[in-house]
Amino acid sequence: MPQVRIIAKNFMDMVAALPAMKLDKLYENAFICEAVLRSLPPLAKKYVLQMLYMVVPITGKSMEEWVLSDGFSKHKVAVDRLLQLRIFLEVTDRKKETSYRLNPKFQDNLQKYLVYGGALPREAMPSNITVRLPSLEDLEAYALEQWECFLLQLINSSHVERPTNFSSSVMRVFQRGLLSARENETPKLTENGFQFLLMDTNAQLWYIIREYISSSQDRGVDPTDLISFLLELSFHVLGEAYNLSTLTEVQKNAVRDLADLGLIKLQQGRKEGWFIPTKLATNLSVSLSDTSSRKQIISFLQQNAHPRVAERTPAVPENVTDQIRLWETDRNRVDIIPSHLYEDFPSKEVFEAASDFAREVSGLLWEDTKNMRLIVRGELHQDMRDFLRRQK
Amino acid sequence: MVNAIKGLFISCDIPMAQFIVSFNASLPASQKFIVHMLDATHMFVQPHVAEMIRSRIADFRDQNSYEKPA
Repeated sequence: MPQVRIIAKNFMDMVAALPAMKLDKLYENAFICEAVLRSLPPLAKKYVLQMLYMVVPITGKSMEEWVLSDGFSKHKVAVDRLLQLRIFLEVTDRKKETSYRLNPKFQDNLQKYLVYGGALPREAMPSNITVRLPSLEDLEAYALEQWECFLLQLINSSHVERPTNFSSSVMRVFQRGLLSARENETPKLTENGFQFLLMDTNAQLWYIIREYISSSQDRGVDPTDLISFLLELSFHVLGEAYNLSTLTEVQKNAVRDLADLGLIKLQQGRKEGWFIPTKLATNLSVSLSDTSSRKQIISFLQQNAHPRVAERTPAVPENVTDQIRLWETDRNRVDIIPSHLYEDFPSKEVFEAASDFAREVSGLLWEDTKNMRLIVRGELHQDMRDFLRRQK
Repeated sequence: MVNAIKGLFISCDIPMAQFIVSFNASLPASQKFIVHMLDATHMFVQPHVAEMIRSRIADFRDQNSYEKPA
């Protein structure tokens, strides 16, 4: 079992949280295998490629010999990630030794992808049918406009000229956590909502998509289908037109919603309709930027700079970024850690053993050898108690 | 029998530590919260005073900030 518990901070974490059966089904799609491979930490990518053509499982012990001792923690993170995503499957033999092998579906698809390349289930439409295709600049402007319109409706539904097609129940799902809804009061922005507005577009998009996927079950849609479609979408070519008739019903409905968010532009020809992915769609697997509030504020200033100012390097003047940094450090001058102080040790040996234990579990905050006192992080109090009880 | 006291481990710079010490000294005996001064930049205090300390520091910082005269 993977030892690391991860909170879904990005698309791949959401994929990793799917139940085994759904994940195995996702891997029937070669693009998903490729997208997942690309998202892996570098060491994990290396392991997958190393094992791509191996048919026999490899023992965990021999894998550990692939890294030097100071790479061990990276090794564990890589293996845990691979287990979580079910790219690695665990095999325990009669000697109780753990071995790993690649998920056969994943392995198979990746081998094919390597040899034949990937082919999308649909091709771009010929240009003699798709007249009036928007230029890339127009497409980008469109995507931004749709997204800003959506954000406006999200934050203040009464002020919107052109409301999206999202039902009010779906909008409420998006607004949960960002706005506080009290009886008979206009909804107000919460602290989270404020931070949300400061995030860059990719991070905001991820938040909305995540809520969209998580709530899809309530709308009668299998989240796996959505995840699969979104990942597939990120491999489409920016600005190209794809026939709507190549989509399933579920995908057609999703495409309408995604058009409201600016990921897709819909157009209608004489006989056929098509969808055009925007930059927001092709960038879906980009991971989140750093979430410290100073970085959010500076990144917000950079992204929303007046066009003339944006041409300067750096866009935000150093004295402004320096002051914001100083302001942030000033707010964080005092570090307060909940903890316990342990004293009245019966002997020096018990004190030293407890201190070593606390150090081992990364909980030791302070050691006073003269007075035989220890301060240890609060989360480890139960462990400390158990340890001390065992010392009798 | 080892005794365990619940509290907060505070680490900060020397001026801040002095600020907290003087704030502690200004309180009546029943409300003093510093359990042990560990060194010039660390101390162990009673639990539940984190908010009080932070808000006191925020007031101090606001007093230090320049306000343009009306």
